[in-house]
Amino acid sequence: MKNKKELRIGETHVEAVRSHFPGSIVDASWQGEEQLCITVKLDMLPDVVEFLYYGRGGWMPVMVGNDERSINGNYALYYVLSMEEEDPCFLTVRVEVPPEPGEYPSVTPRVPAAVWSEREVYDMFGLRAINIIDNRRLVLPDDWPEGLYPLRKDSMDYRHRPKIAADMETYEFLRETGDSETTVIPMGPLHITSDEPGHFRLFVEGETIVDADYRLFYVHRGMEKCAEQRLNYDAVTFFADRICGICGCAHSVAYAESVENAQGIVVPPRAQYIRSIVLEVERLHSHLLNLGLVCHYCGFDTGFNHFFRVREKSMDMAERITGHRKTYGLNLIGGVRRDILKEQAGTLQLVRELRTETQQLVEELLGTPNFDARTKGIGILDPKVARDYSPVGPTVRGSGFARDARYQHAFDGYKSLKDWKPKVQTGCDVQSRTLVRIEEFFDSLDMIEELLTNAPGGPILTEDWTYTPHKFGVAVTEAPRGEDVHWSMVGDNQKCYRWRAKAATYSNWPVLRSMFRGNTVSDAALIVGSIDPCYSCTDRVTVVDVKKQTSKVLTKDELEFYCRNRRRSPLMD
Amino acid sequence: MEIVVAILQALLLMLLAPLTSGIGRWLRAKIHTRKGPSIFQDYYDIIKLFKRDDVRTESSTFISRGMPVLYVGVCFVLAMGMPMATRACPIPVLGDIILIIYLLALPRFFFGLAGVDRSGNYASIGGIRELIVGILVEPSMMLALFAAAMVLGTTNVGAMGGIVGSMQLASPVGVLVAGAAFAIACYIELGKLPYDVAEAEQELQEGPLSEYSGPSLGMIKVAMTMKQILVVSWFVAIFLPFGSAVEMTVPAMALGLVAYLVKMAVLFLVILVIENLVARVRFKLMGKQTWAVVGIAVLAFVFCALGI
Repeated sequence: MKNKKELRIGETHVEAVRSHFPGSIVDASWQGEEQLCITVKLDMLPDVVEFLYYGRGGWMPVMVGNDERSINGNYALYYVLSMEEEDPCFLTVRVEVPPEPGEYPSVTPRVPAAVWSEREVYDMFGLRAINIIDNRRLVLPDDWPEGLYPLRKDSMDYRHRPKIAADMETYEFLRETGDSETTVIPMGPLHITSDEPGHFRLFVEGETIVDADYRLFYVHRGMEKCAEQRLNYDAVTFFADRICGICGCAHSVAYAESVENAQGIVVPPRAQYIRSIVLEVERLHSHLLNLGLVCHYCGFDTGFNHFFRVREKSMDMAERITGHRKTYGLNLIGGVRRDILKEQAGTLQLVRELRTETQQLVEELLGTPNFDARTKGIGILDPKVARDYSPVGPTVRGSGFARDARYQHAFDGYKSLKDWKPKVQTGCDVQSRTLVRIEEFFDSLDMIEELLTNAPGGPILTEDWTYTPHKFGVAVTEAPRGEDVHWSMVGDNQKCYRWRAKAATYSNWPVLRSMFRGNTVSDAALIVGSIDPCYSCTDRVTVVDVKKQTSKVLTKDELEFYCRNRRRSPLMD
Repeated sequence: MEIVVAILQALLLMLLAPLTSGIGRWLRAKIHTRKGPSIFQDYYDIIKLFKRDDVRTESSTFISRGMPVLYVGVCFVLAMGMPMATRACPIPVLGDIILIIYLLALPRFFFGLAGVDRSGNYASIGGIRELIVGILVEPSMMLALFAAAMVLGTTNVGAMGGIVGSMQLASPVGVLVAGAAFAIACYIELGKLPYDVAEAEQELQEGPLSEYSGPSLGMIKVAMTMKQILVVSWFVAIFLPFGSAVEMTVPAMALGLVAYLVKMAVLFLVILVIENLVARVRFKLMGKQTWAVVGIAVLAFVFCALGI
């Protein structure tokens, strides 16, 4: 009998799965101190994931598909679960899916959080989830040919473009509007208040939104494929920077750490501190941006301009520390490229200035006439919906969940912060999310001061490790919008065998539909803005109603009939 | 003489309207800590618009085509009757408050209809909003003016201003409260933040305006500024007539013009500051705020009726 103290981190979960589902686990292995992977039998997959998700406090950031036919003859799916109650760790549930017939039981009807990942895996690998409710395309554009799955290793020669398959948009927008006569209001693909393309369809009655559906991925850049084919694994840190124009460093750190976790590289403490400091600087300018945008969406442009004026200081801070206003190009596998030199004194001065100026602006914002009326009770994210879909960042923290990767999965310099707790609001509305951002902004200032003062000396890069192919790892960073999760497996050719970058907003889009319902058209932009979306990083929307756990394939004719006549809804059974 | 003044002031108003909005934009930029455009920017914009083609949807009818001309025309007519530098109306027939209210309602009605007519989704919502705002504001505006008219014994703007200017009022508190109610109603009528619900840029992509282009858009831009100036002048003519020319002589009118410009400048500055310190009202809650104005107007009516 094992003594409880000798259990490795995460082992209680393995034991629990073993006792609940005897014989389901084929293999269990640890990729690092705090992350493990269990391989389960294919038919047990939904049971095991549901048990871990609802039964043991798991949240699902992402599911990764991987073409492992050249390694073990099968495709593999990795359901990454962040265990956040007792025994916190990253627990990955892995299944192998045989290429013939290329099907697996869908987890989505049990755990809705998997919906986007499962749709994406169909687009990219052609693996069909049985019983998934919504099987429309997610990532690929309408003119992409059927049956061509880009992330399969043998799918196509990428020097040629595939043939265009359709001239017209064929995407079907879902609507559940009941008997009400609704008007369709298109918002996007280009809309005056969002700078990036996303197509929202609002089904409205008067000004009230009855239902909404949306599609994204207009700017899918194929970065994962590019990393697999053209870049060496150590160049991907710089590539990952370019995922996002705001939180590039968060992606870069997450990628670097996924490789470091997989390869067992210990990053020197000073480098860890520098990474955290830069991540917090990123949060400063990102949160100021969003606070400015909230003003703009409310029609309070004076606030918008003043927040942007102050934001410039945080950009200066980034430039002082990294040499670049956008905190790019800092990370290497095993550490960072540049040290913070004698710039601390100036940075601390900037921190103080930012604190006072932002304090004034925030007071002004909260005292602005009509601000309260515009944001309170708007865009409610029901905690139940939040629990089902695993949203992240201020979006979920505004609905009462204290989810923060810096706390649950403390990494880098954050491990040294003692008294800090994630900030939570319970209003579930736009105002709560804004207040969370305001509080986090001041937290970040404190953190930067503390980390800069306490950063230990020493080297900033380690090269003392050996490269082992086909080892995989997960890493997480808390970007301003929520957690970025990266999963990577290096290959035997100094390239990524598979790299999956999950941007924070990817987890937040699916809950948007329920946030739209019952609000008015004039709130739509504000609601979208309140999740602080990052279109191109995610680039991915559609959602399945949790109430209706039925599966239905709609034909184009059915939908068209319904659109024209608004009778015989194909969604009503 | 009167007819010359009438045409002159209407022409000047039309020509100087873009300057007014340009100065407004420049000051707004200063409040935003932006460098901001030149004060002549609106002239450049409008000249550019007049060089462009007018693009319309196929389904649009004479309503949306005729609206810009109607809008400018109505503003021109109103400007001829509105006392500005003078105390009396240049053309008394056009100075009746009931006529003014209806003349203001006419372009609004067509503005709203044009939004619906052009079959754009956002434009329709904006058009409907414009009409609802009219329904919400006009009653309180009328009530406040009728209360004042009851005390002053006339419905002619110039005559009303003359009595207020003489400071011999039967019911001073009543007129004061009526003035306050009318001021708030006028502010909402201006269509500035927080009440620019019909053209809300972030919500409705400029509402009915989004369907206009070229010369039509240019005309609407001029007309909207003219209307704003006229509404403020209307308030000034009745409740703040002090300093305007009582006699129709050139020196008196020059002095009156200076007084008018100073009053307008002060009022527009106040409006600008308010406009830049608020967030847009939630459209659903707008009715509540207009009820308050109705309340004040009713109070004014009671005071006037009691002769306080």
